[in-house]
Amino acid sequence: MSAKSVAYTTCYMCACRCGIKVHLQDGHLRYIEGNRDHPVNRGVLCAKGSAGIMTAISPARLRTPLKRIGPRGSGSFEAISWDEAMRLLTERLAAIRAGDPSRLAMFTGRDQSQSLTGHFARMFGTINYAAHGGFCSVNMAAAGLYSVGGAFWEFGEPDWEHARLFLLFGVAEDHDSNPIKLGLAQLKAHGAKIVSVNPVRTGYSAIADEFVPITPGTDGLLVLALIHCLLEAGHIDTEFLVRYTNAHHLVIDAPGSAEHGLIARDAEGRELAFDRDTASLVPGSATGINPALNGTYVLADGRRARPAFALLAERYSAAEYAPEAVAERCGIPAATIRRLAAEIAEVAFRQSVVLEQPWTDTNGRRHAQMVGRPVAIHAMRGISAHSNGFHTCRAIHVLQMLLGAVDTPGSWRYKSPYPKPIPCGVPPGRPGATPGAPLSGAPLGMPTRPEDLLLDAEGEALRLDRAFSWEAPLAIHGLMHMVIARAYEAGPEKIDTLFLFMANMAWNSSMNPGEAIRMLSASDEHGNYRIPFVVVADAFASETVAYADLVLPDTTYLERYDCISLLDRPIGSAHGPADAIRVPVLDPGRDVRPFQDVLIDLAGRLGLQDFADAQGRPLYTSYADYIVRHQRAPGIGPLAGFRGADGSTFGRGEPNPEQLRRYIDNGGFCVHHLPAEQLYYKYANRAYLEGAREMGFIGSSAPIVLQLYSEPLQRFRLAAEGHGARVPPERLRERVRTYFDPLPFWYAPLEQAMSDPARYPLHAITQRPMAMYHSWGSHNAWLRQILPENRIYLHRALAAELGIEDEDWVWVDSRNGRVKCRARTMTGVNRNTVWTWNAIGKRAGAWGLGRGAPEFRRGFLLNHVISEFLPAEGAAAPHSNSDPLTGQAAWFDLTVRLEPCGPDTSDETAPLLGANPLRIRRATENTP
Amino acid sequence: MKPAASILLLTTLTGFAYGLLAWLGLYVATGTPAAARLMVLSGVGVGLVLATLGLMASALHLGRKERAWRAFSQWRSSWLSREGVAAVLTYPIVLGFAWSELRDPAAGLARVLGVAAALASLGTVYCTSMIYASLKPIRQWHNPHTAPDYLIYALFSGGTLFVLLHALAFGTGAAAAALSALAALCALIAKRIYWRHIDMQTPLATLASAIGLPKDTPARPLDAPHFTENFILREMGFQIARRHAAKLRRITLGLAFALPLSLSVLAAFELVPLASSTLAVLCAALGLLTERWLFFAEATHVSALYYGRRI
Amino acid sequence: MTQVPTPAPGARKLGLVIDLDTCVGCHACAVNCKEWNTGGEAGILPDYDKYGEQPDGVWFNRIHSYESGTDGHSRTVNFPRSCLHCENPLCVTVCPTGASFKRAEDGIVLIDTDICIGCKLCSWACPYGAREFDEDNGVMRKCTLCIDRIYDESRPAAEREPACVSTCPAKARHFGDLADPQSKVSRLVEERGGVDLLPELGYRPTNKYLPPRQAQIPTTPREAPARPAQGIGAALLQLLDKALSR
Ligand SMILES: Nc1nc2c(c(=O)[nH]1)N[C@H]1C(S)=C(S)[C@@H](COP(=O)(O)OP(=O)(O)OC[C@H]3O[C@@H](n4cnc5c(=O)[nH]c(N)nc54)[C@H](O)[C@@H]3O)O[C@H]1N2
Ligand SMILES: Nc1nc2c(c(=O)[nH]1)N[C@H]1C(S)=C(S)[C@@H](COP(=O)(O)OP(=O)(O)OC[C@H]3O[C@@H](n4cnc5c(=O)[nH]c(N)nc54)[C@H](O)[C@@H]3O)O[C@H]1N2
Ligand code: SF4
Ligand code: SF4
Ligand code: SF4
Ligand code: SF4
Ligand code: SF4
Ligand SMILES: [Mo]
Repeated sequence: MSAKSVAYTTCYMCACRCGIKVHLQDGHLRYIEGNRDHPVNRGVLCAKGSAGIMTAISPARLRTPLKRIGPRGSGSFEAISWDEAMRLLTERLAAIRAGDPSRLAMFTGRDQSQSLTGHFARMFGTINYAAHGGFCSVNMAAAGLYSVGGAFWEFGEPDWEHARLFLLFGVAEDHDSNPIKLGLAQLKAHGAKIVSVNPVRTGYSAIADEFVPITPGTDGLLVLALIHCLLEAGHIDTEFLVRYTNAHHLVIDAPGSAEHGLIARDAEGRELAFDRDTASLVPGSATGINPALNGTYVLADGRRARPAFALLAERYSAAEYAPEAVAERCGIPAATIRRLAAEIAEVAFRQSVVLEQPWTDTNGRRHAQMVGRPVAIHAMRGISAHSNGFHTCRAIHVLQMLLGAVDTPGSWRYKSPYPKPIPCGVPPGRPGATPGAPLSGAPLGMPTRPEDLLLDAEGEALRLDRAFSWEAPLAIHGLMHMVIARAYEAGPEKIDTLFLFMANMAWNSSMNPGEAIRMLSASDEHGNYRIPFVVVADAFASETVAYADLVLPDTTYLERYDCISLLDRPIGSAHGPADAIRVPVLDPGRDVRPFQDVLIDLAGRLGLQDFADAQGRPLYTSYADYIVRHQRAPGIGPLAGFRGADGSTFGRGEPNPEQLRRYIDNGGFCVHHLPAEQLYYKYANRAYLEGAREMGFIGSSAPIVLQLYSEPLQRFRLAAEGHGARVPPERLRERVRTYFDPLPFWYAPLEQAMSDPARYPLHAITQRPMAMYHSWGSHNAWLRQILPENRIYLHRALAAELGIEDEDWVWVDSRNGRVKCRARTMTGVNRNTVWTWNAIGKRAGAWGLGRGAPEFRRGFLLNHVISEFLPAEGAAAPHSNSDPLTGQAAWFDLTVRLEPCGPDTSDETAPLLGANPLRIRRATENTP
Repeated sequence: MKPAASILLLTTLTGFAYGLLAWLGLYVATGTPAAARLMVLSGVGVGLVLATLGLMASALHLGRKERAWRAFSQWRSSWLSREGVAAVLTYPIVLGFAWSELRDPAAGLARVLGVAAALASLGTVYCTSMIYASLKPIRQWHNPHTAPDYLIYALFSGGTLFVLLHALAFGTGAAAAALSALAALCALIAKRIYWRHIDMQTPLATLASAIGLPKDTPARPLDAPHFTENFILREMGFQIARRHAAKLRRITLGLAFALPLSLSVLAAFELVPLASSTLAVLCAALGLLTERWLFFAEATHVSALYYGRRI
Repeated sequence: MTQVPTPAPGARKLGLVIDLDTCVGCHACAVNCKEWNTGGEAGILPDYDKYGEQPDGVWFNRIHSYESGTDGHSRTVNFPRSCLHCENPLCVTVCPTGASFKRAEDGIVLIDTDICIGCKLCSWACPYGAREFDEDNGVMRKCTLCIDRIYDESRPAAEREPACVSTCPAKARHFGDLADPQSKVSRLVEERGGVDLLPELGYRPTNKYLPPRQAQIPTTPREAPARPAQGIGAALLQLLDKALSR
């Protein structure tokens, strides 16, 4: 008789966090299906999720802690015990902490425990901490958080139920993998129109009703041209603007002064507006006024000021934003842009959605209905992976505000616990006064003024990755892609230990992996490594593991507790906040430990505040214990559900020792459903804001004013103009002045602007394959059957011009080198764009794959031809290849040329780096 | 379609075998000299051995050989089942024929059983041919040529064997050789007609209709479901280059038909009859194996459309 | 029984309706199908050379993508392909052993792997490439329409549907009785003009495919309005003149 059982937990074959129902038979995985009650996936499961049972038996799983014995990168290790691993690590980190804690650089990748890892870093006292947001879309996160207090980046979602027109900018898959698909199905079911703006027509774009094959990097222009058309036709929701945005706030017009471009305020610090009824200056937040959106007004001190909207209208009404002016650059006919604008206006203003749902705004006004503009927008890395993504994303948010399509029925909505106040005003934490003291705050924060930056006396970066410096002032997630290059550059004085968790930095998350590998293994004339010590916490034999000095083998997602916390990246939706856990359903049967347990153990051994008591005794026995008992603020802990002694409160409440059990009984998650009157207008919905304050999501229930005009940006710009105590160093002045524009603008992506279009005429981008997650699908026996190698795709007309046919080997050349791959032709692609699936190529020897695996021989990484640096200009050190405001990695700014390899070429990709499979020596006493 | 060695052997060997048995049966039916008894009996032996070898080869093709017996059950609908049944039924008939021949070649019974053996043999070949001819997704097989052609090739190849046996037994056999030459000519003509037919055929379907779009919509594959070869592609996606096919067709014509034809003519004029009829058998065997290989290699399967192959 | 049974009056015709208008080509159905059937009653679905040079295996469902139409009007079509449970299934009639059969009561076409001799003839007879050979066990395999789910009384009624249907994140797969004109699937086929694949071959598939659509938003086309060389246009000025209330 075989024993069958069922367990509920959370999938982690990608970061989407779907609920799963795991069927076990005699302790083995039998079947994984979607949990029908789960708010994220409602029972569906993607290809990766279903393939989880093959990941659980992958030959690439690490089995024991490892200590390097051969040269770094050779793959030669000795298996060691956990005791030894922990002792090594504790000694090293304790020594660092006693000197300069920031000599620990801790960078975590695709994890979902940033609230833990970030807290560890804070208590350790290192500012050199970041998670992977800088890879993905920190520019969009910042643009959103600084504009609407939420973001496309996981903090918002379209109103799938009511939208009538859906605009999708540059999305292939996104983190909301299953919810987006469910949403698209919902849109289709009620006949909404889906427009995909994307250079490539695959996946979601394939089922779009209209495909707009834009030239990469030009979405900002397209959106501003749409805004131009809407302004031209007077299709603007002015009521919405004056109620919920700062459109009517007066902007000081005093060129050359230290206040130019800032918002005029009264003595109490309230933003001013001009009331046309009384012809007087009044607080912009006053009710019963008739605020001006146009004109020029004189302030009490005699200076002139203009409503923010007037500046905006003037800028985008200019001929340079007319469809005819942008059509060629965008690769989209002017008539198409005009039609799209007309469709947007038609849907927003003639097909408004009206819900018979009363609600009360923050001014106490009762509204009988909720009126929505059913134009919903979603955007992702087609915008963010370009160095102009911050402004492009701001442009999209401005478009939403102009339409009144922010958190109204049918439009884009916040996912709880968003919105947050704008600007949120929590700057990044600073180093403590003495070594070993915690940072003043979380290592990642949101600067709103030059004073918030982390700078040394010369005005240069304090952080290794130069986040929060003048090079990337709003790098609110750090610059993960620069870590290896900067650690190499800075040398042992600045960095001792590079601690990587769940990021494959020696391969697909590096620009130019060949260089990353060289830097990781570079040593000085005495044979000392330039990056003295590398710790890698990974579950699998990834390319990066070979470059570690110490490997901490993690469990797989089915073998550990995890916490998908509201303090981190929550799974809430527009319908309410939610969080979830992972529970161990399999016995690892290997000498591996959950990384979070290890980190908590380490923190305890180091005696870190919040992890050890005053006597230095560890506070927590395990992550599970920490999840239940840790409190970030009184009553607030990692999990929001089932709090309080009896488990009856959500959000805030005493720790509940039975909390995990309650989660398990509830299928591994907890949702708080918002009442219907709180579902929209959350920035100004009194009931919602009060509830959110109660639950600890926001500090106050004051209305959140959407920022059409961004004053914080202007503050940085003023510094660049020489105002204030903190000004950028000379070499960066012009850069900061240019890019810190309080109104969105378009500029050519930096690398593109510097490259010669005659030499590199083509744009090169990547896409996420739906059935693969970055590098970690290739060791899955099922997923690798689907995509064990990749191709470079190009337009048939271009192929004909270049004499390239399907399956021909071609060289992709960029200023950074060349990569060899096979070609495939298609028609659904922008004529000047080539693309490939991301992260398919693998380094020979990695991932437990056999010799001759197609992943090694024909799979390739476009990363080989991307550089983490822009071309140097003159003598100055080159800038990083990033968005100049936020440091977002500009993966998609790449320009290339294609060249057929000819018939005699070998049947293998290039560059082919030598194989370095793990060779593990077992300590003799362990061998049976 | 992938030419599988076991199936090439099966159809070629059974063609020779049942063709020979048919010749022998008809030969007896038309009245045999007593002197031919040994020839007839050894011919039956050769035929049965070859047929058995062919059937055994076909078992190699099965995934579960030990269950082969199950293949006899579905004779009401399956040509493969019918082939099996026919092959099995042919044994007693042929043995009965041999027995009657042994007893009294001139008796009416032998004549009747000769006709029966010929019919059973050709019937088995017909069943084999119908396995292919009944497969709708393969236009090169599902046509009015396949069945008669199989019969013609069987008669032709069995004929070369018969002539050889005759030559062995009597040194000469002008009439048989002439008949065999005629069969070779028919086979040659049939093959050319067949090729012309499949070359002029229009594909059975388009990729568009295979994926549910209006038939004439242009459609092209973008990405296949899996990167490496799979069963469908190995089995149904086998394709041969036109140039290569043309060469093999010439070889087939020469080796399978033209040479045996000329050699049979030589034999008919009683010039080196033994050598020429031996050579004719060898050429026919090699040639027909090539012909059979091409029969598969040139056949396209509708399902290959899904992978962007031409059909 | 190898002969195709004549369906009894009122017999059901169970099958899938696949919506090419919403299929995003995610392979979820294919992998979940593989996962379900790997532990299924007929034994595991084999994989060959799992971590080596030629990874391959048996799948009941495979997802293609195509481009249709001409340049400028091309469309990408994702296309899942599995057994269509034909009403005129040559794969059944060619089978010499009776291993391949069509059920009279619901039209499901199945293989009895305990009888199959692995002659592969049925795979030759299927124009849709729906049958795949299991090299490990020497027998033919194909989609079972998840017969071990849809009739499993121990599952809640709502979950008695094929794995691929349950899992499809884009809700592009529907399951039901196509003999019942009132069923959800029949109505979908009716409303959306569901089609047969390869109708010219006459297999009369039970599964139907819903063709891609194109939603439109009717607007009156606008020419670029006359506008001043500088500043904001008349329409906007007019709008901004209107009184607002905050
Ligand atoms: N299956 C799967 N899911 C994943 C991941 C995975 O690896 N696999 N990774 C996760 C991670 S870390 C992330 S960051 C997200 C990213 O999710 P996505 O945002 O979907 O990221 P990409 O696949 O890079 O897709 C970017 C899309 O933008 C398009 N594009 C490129 N340049 C431009 C442009 O200039 N303009 C426009 N409009 N479009 C453009 C590309 O063609 C592509 O379709 O996905 C997450 N989800
Ligand atoms: N050319 C190009 N490059 C890109 C991108 C692109 O679009 N184009 N996208 C970029 C983006 S947005 C991102 S987010 C990065 C992603 O790149 P990475 O962050 O490097 O992501 P992965 O490849 O998924 O690697 C994560 C590591 O986590 C390990 N891992 C998996 N599961 C576990 C676990 O349970 N525990 C532990 N400890 N480790 C585990 C894996 O083995 C792997 O080594 O790639 C970036 N690189
Ligand atoms: S989208 Fe897929 S892989 Fe990601 S969590 Fe959900 S089921 Fe798992
Ligand atoms: S799961 Fe659904 S959307 Fe994905 S490939 Fe299958 S049918 Fe298409
Ligand atoms: S799709 Fe193929 S296997 Fe399925 S019933 Fe039809 S012919 Fe038979
Ligand atoms: S392979 Fe099996 S199911 Fe197919 S025809 Fe042969 S015996 Fe029947
Ligand atoms: S019905 Fe079942 S067996 Fe058939 S394709 Fe779907 S999941 Fe696979
Ligand atoms: Mo990412």
